[in-house]
Amino acid sequence: MEKMIWIPILFPVLGGLILSRLRGMEQNRTARQIYIMTVLTAELALVFLFMQQKGSALRVFPLVDQIPVYFRIDEISMLFSGLIAVIWWLSGLFALEYMKHEGHERSYFVFYLIAEGVLTGISYAGNLVTLYLCFECMTLLTMPFVLHARTRKSVRAARKYMFYSIFGASMSLGGIVILAIYAPSIAFQPGGVFTAEVFGQHQTLYLCAAGLMIVGFCGKAGLFPLHGWLPTAHPQAPAPASAVMSGIITKMGVLTSIRVAFYIFGADYLRGTWVQTLWMTLAVLTIFMGSMMAYKEPSMKRRFAYSTVSQVSYILLGLASMTAEGMTGGLLHVVFHAVSKTTLFLMSGAVIYYTGKKKVRELDGIGRQMSAVILCYTIASAALVGIPPLSGFVSKEFLAHGVMEAGIPILNLLAPVVLLISAVLTAGYLFPITIHGYFPEKGEESYETISIDGKMLIPLLILGVLSVILGICPGRLITFAEQISELLL
Amino acid sequence: MDVIRNFPFIGIFFCMSSGVVNSVLPGKWAKKVSITAVTLNLVLSAAVLYYVIVTDQSYVYVMGHHPAPWGNEIRFGILEGIFATFFCMIMLLSVLGGIRRLEEDISEKRSNLFYVMVNLVMAAILALVYTNDLFTGYVFVEIMTIGACGLIVVRGESRSLVASVKYMIMSLIGSGLILISLSLIYDLTGHLLMSNIQEAIAQLVESGSYMEPLATAIALLSVGIAIKSALFPFHSWLPDTYTYATSTSSAILSSLISKAYIFLLIKVYYRVIGIQVIFQNKILHLLFAFGIAGMIMGSISAIRQNDLKRMIAYSSVAQIGYIYMGIGMGTTIGMLAAVFHMMSHSASKSMMFISASGLSSVSGRSCRFTRLRGAAHRNKLAGFAFLIGSFAMIGIPTTAGFISKVYFAQAAVQSPSNVKMIITIIALGISTILNAVYFMRAIIVIYSPVQEQGNHAKRKDTLMTAVLICFIVFNFALGLYSDIVVDYMRAGLAMFS
Amino acid sequence: MKTWMLLIPVLLPVIGGGGMYFFPIKEDRFRQCYVFGITLLNSLIVFWMLIRGVDGSFSVFHMAHGLELKFHIDGLSRVFGGILAFLWPFATLYAFEYMRHEERNNLFFCFYTMTYGICVGIAFSANLITLYMFYELMTLSTLTLVIHKLDQPSILATMKYMVYSIAGAAFAFIGFMFILHYGTTTDFVYGGVLDMSKVGGRENLLLFIFVLTVLGFGVKAAIFPFHGWLPTASVAPTPVTALLHAVAVVKAGAFAILRVTYFSFGTDFLYGTWAQQIMMGFAIVTILFASSRAVKEIHFKRRLAYSTISNLSYIIFSASLMTPFGLKGSLAHMVTHAIMKITLFFCAGAVMHQTGKEYIYELKGIGRSMPFVMGCFTIGSAAVMGVPMLCGFVSKWAIVTAAVRTQIPLAFVGMAAILFSAFLTAVYLFSIVVKAFFRTENIVEPVKKEDPNWYMKLPIAVLSGMMVLIGVWSGPLMQLLEMIAYGRL
Repeated sequence: MEKMIWIPILFPVLGGLILSRLRGMEQNRTARQIYIMTVLTAELALVFLFMQQKGSALRVFPLVDQIPVYFRIDEISMLFSGLIAVIWWLSGLFALEYMKHEGHERSYFVFYLIAEGVLTGISYAGNLVTLYLCFECMTLLTMPFVLHARTRKSVRAARKYMFYSIFGASMSLGGIVILAIYAPSIAFQPGGVFTAEVFGQHQTLYLCAAGLMIVGFCGKAGLFPLHGWLPTAHPQAPAPASAVMSGIITKMGVLTSIRVAFYIFGADYLRGTWVQTLWMTLAVLTIFMGSMMAYKEPSMKRRFAYSTVSQVSYILLGLASMTAEGMTGGLLHVVFHAVSKTTLFLMSGAVIYYTGKKKVRELDGIGRQMSAVILCYTIASAALVGIPPLSGFVSKEFLAHGVMEAGIPILNLLAPVVLLISAVLTAGYLFPITIHGYFPEKGEESYETISIDGKMLIPLLILGVLSVILGICPGRLITFAEQISELLL
Repeated sequence: MDVIRNFPFIGIFFCMSSGVVNSVLPGKWAKKVSITAVTLNLVLSAAVLYYVIVTDQSYVYVMGHHPAPWGNEIRFGILEGIFATFFCMIMLLSVLGGIRRLEEDISEKRSNLFYVMVNLVMAAILALVYTNDLFTGYVFVEIMTIGACGLIVVRGESRSLVASVKYMIMSLIGSGLILISLSLIYDLTGHLLMSNIQEAIAQLVESGSYMEPLATAIALLSVGIAIKSALFPFHSWLPDTYTYATSTSSAILSSLISKAYIFLLIKVYYRVIGIQVIFQNKILHLLFAFGIAGMIMGSISAIRQNDLKRMIAYSSVAQIGYIYMGIGMGTTIGMLAAVFHMMSHSASKSMMFISASGLSSVSGRSCRFTRLRGAAHRNKLAGFAFLIGSFAMIGIPTTAGFISKVYFAQAAVQSPSNVKMIITIIALGISTILNAVYFMRAIIVIYSPVQEQGNHAKRKDTLMTAVLICFIVFNFALGLYSDIVVDYMRAGLAMFS
Repeated sequence: MKTWMLLIPVLLPVIGGGGMYFFPIKEDRFRQCYVFGITLLNSLIVFWMLIRGVDGSFSVFHMAHGLELKFHIDGLSRVFGGILAFLWPFATLYAFEYMRHEERNNLFFCFYTMTYGICVGIAFSANLITLYMFYELMTLSTLTLVIHKLDQPSILATMKYMVYSIAGAAFAFIGFMFILHYGTTTDFVYGGVLDMSKVGGRENLLLFIFVLTVLGFGVKAAIFPFHGWLPTASVAPTPVTALLHAVAVVKAGAFAILRVTYFSFGTDFLYGTWAQQIMMGFAIVTILFASSRAVKEIHFKRRLAYSTISNLSYIIFSASLMTPFGLKGSLAHMVTHAIMKITLFFCAGAVMHQTGKEYIYELKGIGRSMPFVMGCFTIGSAAVMGVPMLCGFVSKWAIVTAAVRTQIPLAFVGMAAILFSAFLTAVYLFSIVVKAFFRTENIVEPVKKEDPNWYMKLPIAVLSGMMVLIGVWSGPLMQLLEMIAYGRL
């Protein structure tokens, strides 16, 4: 069983490739849909099955310089792979109906499935080179999401996405190379691979490498200054794809930075250095900036994209604080934000599919037309704002404590303030949709209810319920996250 | 074997006398006599060379029964033998290669005069190579000038006439300077035989007296010969001369006459003034500078030409610059490089003039590039010979030109003067590039495929074919087996003084 | 194996090709068989000799004092010889199809084949004079190929090429002369041949001459500012550009630089000197300049030419590190870049040949009509970018790790330049891929498939496969190169 870790990684990839070759799949929509859901469900099962195999590792083949492609299942792998599988399933279900509106369905799902495999690969990656390999593949293979519409705008957006990603990845590669030569190991170990002695020998070099890698990888997570692609690219993709991009792919940036900061360098060596200060500063900046931009943005999907920029930096802030609570909060928010943001984007998908409306101010009365959808949206928004007893409150509480404990001079006080302001802004940019949706300004036009197809409604409902449940009894998840924090700090 | 010692004198004498005879013979006979004379000299010189190599020393041959220091002498060592043989060979090939063209260029009545000139020039060359007497050298310098002028003007065109007059004026200025220098030397030393002069000058240098007159004499002599051998900036006569003379004349002028003058200069440096004295003298810096300037300016002018022969002529200016650069280095290896380049350039340049005439004869007797397009396809051998010649000029390995470059570069690298080293290597580089520009352009023109091949009814010129093949073979041999030649030259230079 | 056999792979193509000049072959089929036969036979002979090895060197003849024409096979010969022998048959096959509609094919293939022999002569040369002679001969034999079309742009390109090449050779000649005087021999000996007693106090002079020599040979290797001939030369028929200007000619320049640095002047003499810094500086400037220029270039083949210029300076940069690891990186990139770039040029040529499109903006949607060609182009682009699991990553890794190992400050700048250049590569290469496959808004179905026939497809396919193979299984190759770099082979 141990040697079969490659299965959850390659299974969806193969699924996607087969989908692209099989003749029947092009025409027959039903067959295709059944096939896709089968693959997604199977993958979900596989991932949860393999979570039991914590600790197993697999060395595949040496890629360069005797460094192997190496996969390993540990706590972080479990967390992220599970999240991926769940969200992918939900968004996949949604997309079955949604993509009728967009066209090029088969090509969408081919890349959708392959991407799932690659992302699972990132979760399972056991050393920096494997991580980099999967990261680069991910960039290339998720570009088709942005390119989907095949218009000039989408191509431009995709190119922006690619350039920022590759730029960030190149920066990180520089760090990886330095570590490959000078660090004791580039395989991940909780707490880092360094000892104080070794670290002291080339300290500047190591810190520079750390800085490069964190800024580079976190570009995928929308960290300033490499955030510019996100608001352009995410809205261009079809809504279910935007959902996974904002919900999951940004988390891959988070994952990689966790691996770098805590599994290679170790919090002990980064705490108190300029790297940590830089990381936290950028995160705070991004939180504020993202919220501000979201508040002003008239286009719905773009507003959600800016929201992602802001929210993911909450996570990064928590991680960067390098305290137990901060970390726990960050990890929790990974899950909570994924759930919420997916809901938001799926909602926007439903709105676009049934009414064609893309701008926020057009959404008057939408609550009357699609009440269930907007209800789920409201729940998710509240979670993001951080209203108890919803999920977001839990994670934000941990985050706030963690940041204050971190003890970095100015940020000590600034960070919680920014968090507060951001919460207010979040409410400001998310709630109007609900409000205008249920209480339209324009008076009593008749808003006929639109019936939503089951395939689109179910995921939304599930996600809405999840937000509530996770808020009310987050116990097991918190324990799990605390376990991880303890391990790493 | 010792009878071989008479050969130089016999050769010169035969040339002169047969030249006189030619003046009364009709054209066809004159031609035969001339060619015989040259061939004979070739054989004689080869014998001398062989003799000298075998016995490994240089000999002095007293003319008449008046011993030194009053009589006249001939001296021959390895270097003289090499060059005598070589010059004879080039003369022979040039004449044979250009014979058909001669028949078209020169009227029947005058062709015997041409051959008179050929003989005169041959005699003069040999005399300059062999002489051990300064004044005899001067006499034959004058004879050669006259012969050269004759070679140019015999073509009868107006432009040849003008060119010849230009040449005569410049050349006579040069001769004048040489004469003055000669007088000064005679005045200072009281001798005319080279070896005697050398002793006297050595004494003068030791005592430190009369340094200025000596320096003046050296300077005048060097400049005089420089003018006659077309060193920049005294080269203005050269392009017209080479272009408007017939191909044989151009070949003889470029390959033989200028080289003979330079040979005389080197001989004077070694044997009259003493090489050690010269190496201290500032005149070498001047020659070096002019040589470098000539290398660059000659090539730059060549790039602008539209006429093939004129382009080749300017190339000669550049190549003579190389030789003077070598001389101006002031080291033995510099001299060696210069001497080798004399041979290599002669071999290539004469081939190029002959092949140029071959190319132009299938292009309506014109040498302009516009008419020469595709000429190499019409006359394959001439095109190929031109190609090889170009490679030699540029300095592609396997050609003699490359070996010259190697020796020049080695002279530069080993030069005690850093300035000269840097200037030389940069000039070599730039000159190679410039040469490449105009020669390759010419090659592209002559090799561009042309659609119509109108029947240029050319008479089968077997002589030119044979001559070109000999040239090509010789060029390759020199390029690939230069070792032997260079070794002998080195030995020859060592025994030159 | 007798040493005189070293002459065979040099002379066989020269005589075989030259024979075609004197006995022109009129029939296409027969000519193709003849040329391909000679090429293939020669490649087999070369491979056999590289594997068996030849002890000692073969002296052909003595040109002058200290100058003899000598051949041998050592590590570097194996690498360059291997590249030539492997790629020439494919290129010939490709050329048959490409030149089908051109004139004067007899002359073309005559010189094409002769160039093969001359390049092998460069690879097998045992001392500077042999290298120099064949270097000059290569310039001459490739002139005819560049000028083939005989139109105005071709003639101008040829003149430019010739002047640059001869200028470069003229300055390299100077270095050669200095080695002749200051070295114990002009043979290539690992570690250098300088006689320090002769060098005495003139180190600076020799360093200056070294820089001149590198720049001289660097003209053919397209170092800034002597790179100008390469983009102009892309007016030549694609087989010429692909093989010669991406593989043979430019690699010969890089090869000569390697010889001069490691085997003539010697790294002991050069390491740590200002000359090393200057060489590195030129390489870095070229990398950045050429990559940036490629982004702006709108002509397809010229863009690839600038990419070549940039990648060649990767090789030169790695050489300038002057350590065995640096040499290993150079050799690795020589191999991988040859394969990658020739594939890219083949694809570009196929596009031009089948559709006549020369400019980037014309390539919209061409992925639909030429899926095979553009698919392989995608693989090639990803490889040049440095995506792991393709060969480009392997060689880039080797170069960058070698740079980091030296700890020279400028080397870190170089590493940054290479990584930045990877980013730029994504911009100028991958955008073509995106444009080809995703700008299909104006394409009318059904699309006529315009992929070329097997003459062109086979080389492209095989080479794409090689890129993947080397990317995944690089161990044996890198071990071999490491042995060569340490002088053990």
